[in-house]
Amino acid sequence: MARRAASARGGPREREETDAAREGSPTGGTPGPPALSIERLTKRFGDGDDAVVAVDDVSLTVDRGSVVGLLGPNGAGKTTLIKCALGIVIPDGGSVRVFGTDVRDGRGTAYADVDAMLEGARNDYWRLTVRENLRYFATVSGVDPDSVAARHDRLLDRLDLAGRADTPVRDLSRGMKQKVSLASVLAGGAELVFLDEPTLGLDVESARTLRAELRRLAVEEGLTIVVSSHDMTTIEAVCDRVVMLSNGRIVADDTVEALLGAADRDVVRVASPDLDRETIAGLRERFEVVGVDEAATPPAVSVVAGGDRLYDLTDALRAADVTVSDVRTVQPDLEDVFLERTGSVPGGDSS
Amino acid sequence: MSGDAPPADAAAVDEGVISLFFFAALFLGGRLLAGQALTDSIEGIVVGYFLWTLSVGAYSSVSNDIGSEVQWGTLERHITTPFGFAPVALLKGVAKVVRTFLTSAVILAVMLLATGTRLSLAPVTVVVVAGLSIVSVLGLGFAAGGVTVLYKRIGNWLNLIQFGFVALISAPVFDLPWTRVLPLAHGSAMLQRAMVDGIRIWEFPPADLGLLVAVAVGYLFGGYLVFQFATRRARRLGVLGDY
Repeated sequence: MARRAASARGGPREREETDAAREGSPTGGTPGPPALSIERLTKRFGDGDDAVVAVDDVSLTVDRGSVVGLLGPNGAGKTTLIKCALGIVIPDGGSVRVFGTDVRDGRGTAYADVDAMLEGARNDYWRLTVRENLRYFATVSGVDPDSVAARHDRLLDRLDLAGRADTPVRDLSRGMKQKVSLASVLAGGAELVFLDEPTLGLDVESARTLRAELRRLAVEEGLTIVVSSHDMTTIEAVCDRVVMLSNGRIVADDTVEALLGAADRDVVRVASPDLDRETIAGLRERFEVVGVDEAATPPAVSVVAGGDRLYDLTDALRAADVTVSDVRTVQPDLEDVFLERTGSVPGGDSS
Repeated sequence: MSGDAPPADAAAVDEGVISLFFFAALFLGGRLLAGQALTDSIEGIVVGYFLWTLSVGAYSSVSNDIGSEVQWGTLERHITTPFGFAPVALLKGVAKVVRTFLTSAVILAVMLLATGTRLSLAPVTVVVVAGLSIVSVLGLGFAAGGVTVLYKRIGNWLNLIQFGFVALISAPVFDLPWTRVLPLAHGSAMLQRAMVDGIRIWEFPPADLGLLVAVAVGYLFGGYLVFQFATRRARRLGVLGDY
């Protein structure tokens, strides 16, 4: 039966409630069961020697109102994990609870307030107009589309699609198609939203716009979002918390600030035309050199040099007759964190 | 992708024109080859062709739609909805069958005018008998759609089944009674009697009507089960969204 705008769990929460929830817990938790609870999930594809373990004994809890990023290289298991959570892929072991309901208990109940944007611009009907897509997906979510017409107008306005509401999706640019996908995912008032590579294939400007809109919608609509990406910029800009995956396993799970803080080792990058191999070797004997860029003009070296060690470094450089062209502190990013934890970068292949 | 396909109403017009072209080729070519023999059996050919256009429309509306929804990524999306995908596909199939009835009615009218044939066109009888006949084809469409979900390439070959409908529609149900349990065969024989001999729905023996309903429900249910089994297996193998 089609329900009206309010969801079974009280409808999309408003901004004040979400902010209050976030203040109550570092991860935005609210009383009641978490939005998503995954216990010891395992999924293997294939048999024998050719078998690939896509998700390996993963446990994960996502509190209501939080925005959690799944970061990892291609093949790390992000999409499989999301699809297992959605029931699109049946796991070999483990359990998935959505708002406290085990998904095996009955699909309709468990996923009543869940929707997903998979693979960017797909997942919509391109022959239908933007508004028709929103109405259709609200209907199949069990919501009377007339009861959420005002919400649709607001979504179209927020995503800068109001002027194209009656345009068939096929006539829109890729960036706009992805916005339509996002709008249609939110059209039925889902509280838990999965976004798999939402900025995939977008140009820099479109990706930046979508990231900003995602963050704003998350706050304004009080959504719980699980977003997967191999793009650290998206994860860093949108998420409160990051779950790093590599070879189907979780290798890190913390807030963005905590992960970056743990990796912050007061690294200083010094550039100078006098940095030859002999000089760098001398620096290595006294300092922890974490990076050398001989191809740069001028060559540069990154050295861990916090506190008094910075003075030692400048003394060493002076003693070696190095005229410094540029010196700057290096802020770690999620790529550094990922590299430190796994030895690979999120944009590459996990293999 | 969906953006490459023509609009639905334009596709319906295209299908109608192609169907008429095929019939014209069949009728004119047959007259050249068979002469009076064909003219004597033209009523049966018109009824059979009418049922074939309906069957092809019903089959492709389900099987091709399922393939398209896999490509568009919309099938995956329906998995998490309270309804699931199968009921949505069934309702869309029924809606398209209604549209196919309209286009087939136009084709029938043109065939009758072009050949000068007269048939009994009692609407309730024709719609009920023809409708129940093609429900079994909807079941075949579901089964083929399920196979397409699992094995994408085989799905394309399953379109050839549409030509097998010709054999089912012309099955010798009087000589080989067991063929009545095949899709379309019994319904086709009843439709011939309704449209050629003017038999009304209430004039058919209850056993014939019962078999018509049983075949329709049986194949629809069977096809639905095959589709559910195939999608569940695709979810286990992780290939539901592959295209």
